[in-house]
Formats: sequence, C-alpha cells, structure tokens
Amino acid sequence: MNAVEINELSVRADARELVADVTLHVEAGTWLTVIGPNGAGKTSLVESVVGLRRIAHGSISISGQPLASLNERERAKLVALVPQRPSVPNGMNVRDYVALGRTAYHGLLRAPSAGDRAIVESVLERLSLQDFCERDVATLSGGERQRMVLARALAQSTMVIVLDEPTTGLDLHHQMDLLELLRREVNDCGLTIVATLHDLTLAGQFADRLVLLEAGKVILDGPAHDVIRREELSRCYQMDLRVIDIDGADVIVPVRGVSE
Amino acid sequence: MLSAQPPTTRRVATVTLLCVVALIGAIVAGLGVGPTSISTTRIIGALASGLGLGHSTLTPLQATIVWQLRAPRLVLGLVTGAMLSVAGGAYQGVFRNPLADPYLLGVASGAGLGATFAIVYVGHGLTTPSWTPVLAFAGATIAVLLTWGLGGRGLRATASTLILAGVAISALLTSLQTFFQQQSSIDSIARVYIWLLGSLATASWSSVWMVLPYAIVCVIICVAAGGALDVMSVGDEEARTLGLPVRKVRLVVVAASSLGTAAVVSAVGLIGFVGIIVPHILRLLVGTSYRRILPLSVLFGAAFLVLADTVARTIMAPTELPIGVVTAILGAPAFALILIFRRQLTT
Repeated sequence: MNAVEINELSVRADARELVADVTLHVEAGTWLTVIGPNGAGKTSLVESVVGLRRIAHGSISISGQPLASLNERERAKLVALVPQRPSVPNGMNVRDYVALGRTAYHGLLRAPSAGDRAIVESVLERLSLQDFCERDVATLSGGERQRMVLARALAQSTMVIVLDEPTTGLDLHHQMDLLELLRREVNDCGLTIVATLHDLTLAGQFADRLVLLEAGKVILDGPAHDVIRREELSRCYQMDLRVIDIDGADVIVPVRGVSE
Repeated sequence: MLSAQPPTTRRVATVTLLCVVALIGAIVAGLGVGPTSISTTRIIGALASGLGLGHSTLTPLQATIVWQLRAPRLVLGLVTGAMLSVAGGAYQGVFRNPLADPYLLGVASGAGLGATFAIVYVGHGLTTPSWTPVLAFAGATIAVLLTWGLGGRGLRATASTLILAGVAISALLTSLQTFFQQQSSIDSIARVYIWLLGSLATASWSSVWMVLPYAIVCVIICVAAGGALDVMSVGDEEARTLGLPVRKVRLVVVAASSLGTAAVVSAVGLIGFVGIIVPHILRLLVGTSYRRILPLSVLFGAAFLVLADTVARTIMAPTELPIGVVTAILGAPAFALILIFRRQLTT
C-alpha cells in the first residue's frame, strides 16, 4: 500500500517551474529521501506533500485521500512536518510545545483531553525528553530542539512525517542520533518518512530509497546504491565527487579543484 | 515572581488571585471614592444587597450617587479596560508583534474622524452631539474594513500586509481628521481634543447598554481563541501543518477585537496604553501562553482602567484629568520597568 502518491506534480512560483511533472509513490513504512543541489526543488516538493504549496498541476494523495479535498485539520491527522527552520516561541515549555501536535484532535476551543496528554507524555518518553519537559524551548541546544520538533510531529500521530533538512545545524553525533531515532520509528512503528537531506552519505545510509532531483525533475530514483553514482552526482552538483565503499556503505567525498 | 522559566501552576494561581483582589479593590474604589466619600463598609454592604445578601446602609442621596452616577461609570470602565486589554493581547498574538495595540488597524483614526465630523459638522463646534458615538463607531468600523480590503485580499491576509495597510489607512484618515479640524472653530478643536484624550465622565446606563453586548461577545471570542493564538506563535505555515485554519482564525480574531474596540472607543474616546501595557505585564508574570494572558487581561485590564479613572477624577478634583493622560503616566514607567526586567531576565 502506498502512503504517499504524487502524480504528475508541478509547482510554480510566478513563471518559474519549481517542481516539474514529478510522479512518486512511497510505500507505507518506508523512508524516501530527496537529494539534489540547492534550488533543485526539494523543499517545494516536500512542502507540497504537507499542503503548504499551491499545486499548479497534478495531485497528491496521503493514505489514499486526495490532499486537495482536505482541510487543515484533516490534513494534520494524515501528515506532519518537521520544517527546516522551525519557529521556537520564547516562554513556552517543551511539554506545551509538543502538545501543539495534538491541535487537530482537540480542536480550537477545547483543551487537550486526557488521551491527548497521554500521547504527549508517551512521545516525550520515547524521545527521552522527560527531563526537559518543563524547560523553556528557547533554552534548548540545537540537538534537543530538533528532537523536540520531531516529538511535536510524532504527537500528531500521523502515518507520514515529512522532514525538510532535519539535520541542519547539528553536529555529527546529533545528526546520527536523530536519524537513528527516525529509523527506529520506521522499523518499529511503521512510520513513513519523506525527507530532504544535503548529506548524501547519511541519506544513503538511512533511507530505503533515494530520489535525485535536478531543476524540479526526477533524475534518478531507487535504492541508495542505484542513485549514488559518481557521474550523475558530479554532473548534478557541478563538481567532482568520489564514491567510496566503506563496509558496504557508500561514502561521498568531494574532491577540491576539479569543478567544471 | 518574575522568572525567565515558563510559570508554575502556583505562580499562575497567585497572579490570578492578585488580579481578582485588584478588581475587587477597583470596584470598591470606583464606587466609594469621589467628592462625596462613602465608606468601604457601606459600599460592600450596597454591593451585597444588590446581590440579594443583606441590606444596604446607604442614605438615599448616597444610593443615587452610587447607582446613578458612579456605577455606570464603573461598569463602562470595567468593560472598556477588559475589552482594550483583551483586544491588545489578541492583536499581539494574531500579528506575532509585541507592539501591536487595539488601534493597529485604524480603529483610532477612524473613530477620531467620525467623532470630529460629528462635533464639527453636526454639533457645529457648540456641543458634542449625541450622534458622536454612533459616527465614531461607524468611522472605526469603516477604517478596519478599508484596512482589510487593502491588505487582506479576502482570506489570504498575512500579518505584514494587514499591518502595512493599517498604517496607510490610519495616515489617510488622520489627515482627513486634521483637515476637518483645521476648517473648524477653536471651540470645535477643543471639543475634538477632549474627546480624543478619552473620558468616562459622560458614562450613563444607556452608554453601558450600547457597548456591553458588543464587548461581551467580542471578549468571549478573543478569550476562546487563546489556544489558537498559542498555535500561531510558531508562525502561519507551521500552524497550518498542525491543523489550524490560520486565515480564518486571523479573520475572526481581528473582527472581534476591532468591533469590540470600536464599540468601547465610540463611547469613551481614545484611551491609549491599556491594550499594550496590560498584556505585557501579564506576559511577564504568567508566561507567553494566550490561554492564560487573555482571561487574566479581562480581570487586570478592567481593574487597571477603573483605578486609572479613579485617579483621573480625584487627583486634581474638582478638575478631572483625561483618563488617557493617566493611563499614559502609569503606563510609560510600567513599560520601562518591563523592559528593564526583560533585559535582566535574558542576561
């Protein structure tokens, strides 16, 4: 069963085509990562999946339901977003921030129910955030903050989570930590992930499937080993890249001074 | 009590209790203080008898002063303070702008233009006609509609386009008002000036009944939107992905805040600072959640305005100061203190 179906999707900004005729089907319980250089249309593509972009042509369905026919509340129960630069409001504590993920369930006029609060507590525990839950969100480190934003997305109890560059600003340890956590959610809970990542090595190691995007078009689509190819990536990123096999994992290394 | 950390339940309970005490104090002062001083015991007795508990010990003259002169002024002050404070807090949430006040979208300039028109052309500068509140209300409402029409683009309004449109419409209407004033007599200018500074001196039960229905409905809508405003604190796009119909919420909150503000302003004139100072003081005490700020703004805003009015009518008695002067004198140092505390808390 497909959790996400993107059919002939085009997204435009003025006359410029940001995403051009993209068709992708993402199987439930799998992880798809979109890679590509800056301006390739990665963010436009994933933001379309959460309904933040106006679609010029084509359609998107989440769990079989056409996105265009859903209102914000219905959409938020199907797909959650971890944005590239999340807004972190001063003075809000971590528990209240994570509880924002339950907005679609308790509505605008009612406070979170006991069930909502139980889900928030369970997510805080799953992501080892209990010790931080009374802290002001503005006082968290980058790693803690990103974990908290992920907790908010998990609190939405959706089948699909979209992550736009979730490792931005994190050191290597926290990048691995976050991606391992996401992998566990996919393996243990059947979560479907659609993500964008700039780090090609990490993208290849964690995702079930990679999609290489260039100028809004899909250039390559498949398992990491089929997409991480030196010639295609070097051409796409306009620089010389080497792909080195270390213990079965493809490691991408840029080589200085041979750019086209 | 001040802390950079999100507030504890105990702190919120303490602040709520203080707000209730301030409100009771303001009610007693509003009814008891004046040229004819009436003791607190008698005021409490009269309030209790009004609720069907015990007997009032007021003399007939005192009863007339309390129920016909001071009570309508008190109720209008409570309603105005609550409405302006809640509207200010709601605007700050919906525009994610701490400097937003209830006059952001042109309510003040529209009401000012309406009132000036009434005084100059209906009253011919000789009186402040009974039509003044009606024309002020119409001016304020039209100003907000013009702002929404210019910056709103239907439901696609964003915070920045609305704020910019508010600046443009306010400037236009203020220039028209200045033109009308400039064309009129010195008497007219004096009357317009007094109206613009705001006053509760002309409060009557009829003005209370005129304002009350709007204010009650608008305050309830704004307070109910507190949870939605908390969600909006993460920005429009993130809030949408969390399931919030951001544009509809903005439309409803702006409409309720503006309509309620227009109603109270039409009755009492332009009273500044309340809409900024009250939510900011509460934010410092109970944190940034609008679920807490807005209900407490009802209590504290009402108390603040009545206490300011009590000062306005007694400090230079028998001359009455414009209440806008008192709120600014109290508000400006309070604002400075907030900034100092904020700086200390963040360093």
